[in-house]
Amino acid sequence: MEINNLAINLEEIEKRYENPLDFFRGKKLCLFKACLEKYFPGVRFGIHDFLEELGLEVTICQNQSCCSGTFFQRNLITRAQFAAINERNINEINHQADILLVSCNGCYNSLLRGRDFLKDDIVRKKTQDILNEVKEKMGSEKYHGQYDILENPKLRIIHDLDFFYLIREELVNTLKFSLKGIKIAVHYGCHYLNLDRDKDTNTYLKDKTKLEELIRLFGGVPIDYQERESCCGWGASQIVIHPDDALKVTYKKLKSAENVNACFILMPCPTCLYTLSKPEFRERIHKIFNDELEIPTIHLNELIAILRGCEEEQCITLRRKSPRFDQIYAHITEE
Amino acid sequence: MEDKAESDEEWNYQFLEELVEDVEENQNIRQCIECGKCIGECPASKISDFNIRKIIQKILRGDKSVLKDSDIWYCFLCERCKRVCPKKGVNIPLLILNLRNESFKKGYGPQYNDLTKYVEMAENFLTNGTVLEDPLDGSLSKERIDELNEICNFARIKYVFKASEASKAYKKKIHKKRVKK
Ligand code: SF4
Ligand code: SF4
Ligand code: SF4
Ligand code: SF4
Repeated sequence: MEINNLAINLEEIEKRYENPLDFFRGKKLCLFKACLEKYFPGVRFGIHDFLEELGLEVTICQNQSCCSGTFFQRNLITRAQFAAINERNINEINHQADILLVSCNGCYNSLLRGRDFLKDDIVRKKTQDILNEVKEKMGSEKYHGQYDILENPKLRIIHDLDFFYLIREELVNTLKFSLKGIKIAVHYGCHYLNLDRDKDTNTYLKDKTKLEELIRLFGGVPIDYQERESCCGWGASQIVIHPDDALKVTYKKLKSAENVNACFILMPCPTCLYTLSKPEFRERIHKIFNDELEIPTIHLNELIAILRGCEEEQCITLRRKSPRFDQIYAHITEE
Repeated sequence: MEDKAESDEEWNYQFLEELVEDVEENQNIRQCIECGKCIGECPASKISDFNIRKIIQKILRGDKSVLKDSDIWYCFLCERCKRVCPKKGVNIPLLILNLRNESFKKGYGPQYNDLTKYVEMAENFLTNGTVLEDPLDGSLSKERIDELNEICNFARIKYVFKASEASKAYKKKIHKKRVKK
């Protein structure tokens, strides 16, 4: 049985399509539900609204569960159980869509990793055994193959950042505002930056300058800083298990971006955003390091919504608003 | 250099074999050339005594004390080491998860009371399908929840969940008693 990890082949699309958006036209798109989008509705809105403006067919899969990566990483489920949860999700989504877009590094990592585990014969057998038990328990299938490991599904998975980058020419045409030369620091997040599960698929994951390129394209200035590649501090729940230690990593990152006078930090993951922006974390950092950090943070999808001129409330959650952020927003959206 | 085994006798692969039995990929840690590249970039090493080279060396000597070390619980699973390691087959985060699993089994890992922060998440996952109490698009249907529960049969997540139910029942009982008084 040949198992592929379902990452979309970006190079091939660029080669085959003069306008990469044509690849997506006529296909059914689905947005993966990342749990943390709950805190940042602008992340979902930012891509959903844009896809609709482009006239693409976009859905959400009501039967999708959380990827369970957080439980796997805390040893609360086995590799086979994790792969089974992932396969259940992929099967449901494959049933209703051709392309799955993912807004969160954690979910993206899980989706590829679950498939990756299935390349191991023993894990694959255990996973299928688990799925067979589920099938028996449920009594019947809603559709043929509901509880089978997918051998070569049509479904392909793409990270939102890769998607926006791929169709960047079209994207720029939809923007109402520009970044007006402001300086922006980028944070990719470990599970985008360090992911190497694409070795056999030749995707764009290798070049990690897409955020910088998009910033330039939007009229801003990407600014380098010492901790560009470091983790946000979340670290598979380190911030929960060893909070004060993990916050050192968070602090160093934020401080380093402040030191180069970045206006804000741009990232493609709501989990990184949660860690780098949570007011309670900032307060704790203030207490521990006696340093009050004000640098705002923003998800790429939220920024795109702002630049497209969407209503402020839909782009960015109020909870994260600060005088500093208001200034930036006012500056960007000034006619 | 005192880290390095001086003669072949110092290596003892029995522990490694046990780990390999569980996760075959762990075999690859024998390729480690002790270059230390992974340590320079490792966030866990920056905030704790976590040192992946030392952990690998201990494993290759059959020294199971790593399972008791608190260090292994510091790994961020960030995969940075995988990116910088010159030996492409070495998968440290997976090795760490494997070690934590063994540690759990032997009872050295965090006790269930240390897992309280996970109780809520586990409960949410097994009752509504996400880690949050009130997910963006509402709960999954009962059928889908049943599927998740079946998949998670005999997993630690279930014990965490049961522990939470038991503690809730206990709290209720205590509360009732107090009210009666
Ligand atoms: S990565 Fe985290 S936020 Fe995303 S679905 Fe998985 S558990 Fe939920
Ligand atoms: S930077 Fe933090 S939240 Fe983002 S991918 Fe890495 S560990 Fe996860
Ligand atoms: S995955 Fe663990 S060992 Fe590897 S760099 Fe990250 S924290 Fe260090
Ligand atoms: S980078 Fe790889 S080879 Fe070098 S010490 Fe770390 S695990 Fe060993």
